[in-house]
Amino acid sequence: MKRPGLTASMLWPALIVILPLLFGPLLVLLHESLKPHIAGRVGGDATSALTLENYALLAGPEYAQYFLDTFRIGLISTVLALMLGYPMAHFIVRRASPIMRRILIASLIGTLFLSLIVRIYAISMTFGSLGPLAGFSRLLGIAPTSPSVAELMVVLGLLNTTMPLVALTLIGTIQNINPRLEDAALSLGAPHWKTFVQITLAMSVPGILSAGIIGYAFCISNLVVPMLVGRGFVLFVSNLIYFRFSEVANFPSGAALSIVMMVISLGIFYGLLHLVRTQWQEAGK
Amino acid sequence: MTKRLADALFGSVYYLFLASFIGFSAIPVVVAIVLSFDARSFIGPFPPTAFSLQWYEKFLADDYYYQGLATSLLVSAIATVASTVLGALAALGLDRAGFRGRKVLQAILLSPLVVPNVVLGFGILMFASRLGIIDGMPRLIMGHVLITFPYVMRTTAASLVGIRSSYYEAALSLGARPWKALLQITLPLARTGIVAGAIFAFVTSFDDVGISLFLSDAFTFTLPVAILAQMRANLDLTIAALSVIFILATILIIVLLDRLAGLDAAVGRGVYGR
Repeated sequence: MKRPGLTASMLWPALIVILPLLFGPLLVLLHESLKPHIAGRVGGDATSALTLENYALLAGPEYAQYFLDTFRIGLISTVLALMLGYPMAHFIVRRASPIMRRILIASLIGTLFLSLIVRIYAISMTFGSLGPLAGFSRLLGIAPTSPSVAELMVVLGLLNTTMPLVALTLIGTIQNINPRLEDAALSLGAPHWKTFVQITLAMSVPGILSAGIIGYAFCISNLVVPMLVGRGFVLFVSNLIYFRFSEVANFPSGAALSIVMMVISLGIFYGLLHLVRTQWQEAGK
Repeated sequence: MTKRLADALFGSVYYLFLASFIGFSAIPVVVAIVLSFDARSFIGPFPPTAFSLQWYEKFLADDYYYQGLATSLLVSAIATVASTVLGALAALGLDRAGFRGRKVLQAILLSPLVVPNVVLGFGILMFASRLGIIDGMPRLIMGHVLITFPYVMRTTAASLVGIRSSYYEAALSLGARPWKALLQITLPLARTGIVAGAIFAFVTSFDDVGISLFLSDAFTFTLPVAILAQMRANLDLTIAALSVIFILATILIIVLLDRLAGLDAAVGRGVYGR
């Protein structure tokens, strides 16, 4: 008893509003990225022929560093988030009392809901040179004046969002592992660590990869964290795009960077997620 | 006894990671709260030596933040209402749809979650200027509707998974008109998903910086953009006082989310849930 008329009419409002808001800007970006840039002008030259010059310039070695920094620091933050987020999710699902579970889940969602700007401000006041945890960088063997401190701050800033994000995603994964498998291993004399690694962790691999991809997509597209705590030493591709808009006013180059960044983000997200889902489909069932 | 030793080692690493997680998340929040009561007029070493409410008085007297707050509330309210209506309808429509390409359409409508906000912000700025829209307010609303819509659509779709379409069809076979069956059967059952989505949408819009930075202008700027500008200009403790207000507001929203939709609805209990 399908009512195609009613169904279609419910979809129309979203299609009419969202599709132009999504594709309009992307097409304008694509068009702008193909226009030649004339020094001193904000927008590209509309009269000349379209060119791929803006993309060719991005292939230069001076841009490679920004891309590499973005991907490397994003990866470090994601791996750390998974390392710390997995035990948290495991604790919530397997060990926490119902009240503890509620408090922890509320705190995880609360952390994500608290304004990112406020959290980054709090981190810079805590780990900054006058903060109570200023010695944390020395603990890791980083001199307080070296550029690596900026990198550490960016990692801590990204971690603050990726940890709860990853933990909330992993709660779903661990919840769907039958606890009797762990009980069986323990009752057969397996040590706790071995049960954890060979059963719980092993069965979570697809979930861990999915959570990692979601966290990584957040990290590499971030603008605010490097802007506020990167001290100019750490700049992500997002920051370059923002500079093209706010300081250099080279819109064609900013548009080309945007298109490249979008393709990479979509590729990582849908491509890798699809790969994980198809590779592990049998194992997950 | 290596088994016991290995397990003890495993246990300590497990709890060390757990403690690090809580420490990294909670300590900065506590530090910001303590600093907001600092009586010194400069940023000195932690902890403060005396306490006062001077930073609260300072930001309460600052018109700049009020202006940002007013813009933020207006933009977020409009974006939330628009996204909730559009997102809930789209999820209902997709749920009942049987046409080919349904999955693709769903992925496209959810894609603002994956496309970096900077790209969307920059794109909307140029798109709006080509349409002749140069005011901050309409641009901000365009951007915020786009980034909040997927949240409502996703949570509504998730809540519809549990609702058997047979309820809706039973109502139809009993003679209800389709729109009435939808309004009185499906919509109330999907309520928690729609409410949770609306709350997510409001929070996302209110906290957004990535696209608002591009779409704000000299007279229309959101509160986070105002704070960001202030942070880059001079780092004083007014922002710590503001942070405390944000923390209180977040706690309020979490309580609201729990009461209206249930926190477990946002996370789920899983197949083997206790």
